Amino acid sequence: MPETPTAYREEELRQALAADPRVAETELDVRIAGGRIMISGTVPTQDRRDAVAAVTREHCPDLEVDNRTVVPSLPTTDDEERVR
Amino acid sequence: MIRVAAAGDLHFGTDSKDALRPSLSDIADRADALLLAGDLTKTGEPDEADVLAEELDGIGIPVVAVLGNHDHHADRPDEVRARLQRVGVVVLEEEGCVIELPSGTLGVAGAKGFGGGYIGASATEFGEPETKRFVHVTRSTAAALGAALGELVADVRIALLHYSPVRDTLQGEPLEIYPFLGSYLLAEAVDTAGADLVLHGHAHRGIEWGSTPGGIPVRNVAQPVIRRAFAVYTLEPRGIALASA
Repeated sequence: MPETPTAYREEELRQALAADPRVAETELDVRIAGGRIMISGTVPTQDRRDAVAAVTREHCPDLEVDNRTVVPSLPTTDDEERVR
Repeated sequence: MIRVAAAGDLHFGTDSKDALRPSLSDIADRADALLLAGDLTKTGEPDEADVLAEELDGIGIPVVAVLGNHDHHADRPDEVRARLQRVGVVVLEEEGCVIELPSGTLGVAGAKGFGGGYIGASATEFGEPETKRFVHVTRSTAAALGAALGELVADVRIALLHYSPVRDTLQGEPLEIYPFLGSYLLAEAVDTAGADLVLHGHAHRGIEWGSTPGGIPVRNVAQPVIRRAFAVYTLEPRGIALASA
């Protein structure tokens, strides 16, 4: 059986990260290169960042997982924009 | 001056306790109302809405929200809405509300919106039934948004959406997904009915600032975009404004 092209594997994981309720993120980027799979983008909580790695390992057990997703800090600031 | 705090794409899950509440401790000193631009929950489960409701309960200012696509994922949007309404959140779906504030009246017309794309590259009601249905849904919600805006009588009028009415605020998103991020029909509805500001979310990789073809300011308040708990916009009441008759 021929090896699955990398592009299909990237998209399969991207779809899985959206559909899996542990993550449920539709705007994560996935890239495979050199035996590693890299996921990037933002997620709201550390639990969901951990879930990104778990789901990726389940779908791609043969690849090294490089989880570059970040949980952004969302400070309050004094900035205001005067719209009118 | 009317001060509006706004945020979208909170994506609250059962793991989100205290993700927002600390940021809201003094919000009543900084804004007159909090508007939430959809994707309030991770997967649209009512227990996720409960976590957010607890964070919003008693913050001291009115909260007005629309739902987003995530809030529909579990096919339980009515339950999500009800859990938020339980703590006083006004959840708009193709309708408006007017809030009386010391500095004037704030009118908000809210709708989730939908996709279809933008001028010159938008989907058309042509071909397969599925395609026609997709475009029809957007036309329908845009018309309802316009009608809700047109009925608002308030000093400041805001259109609150989840999907984006313009391309401007999508810069940074892959071009291929623009049709799934919003529709120009929403902007056309706002330009026809009139408004002082449009708020939306949904496009995490976009930018904050844009405007409709008619010149109405548009702000993408998705939290990954604004990079803070909420943005604050101030608007000078212009006296009671009636939409296009």
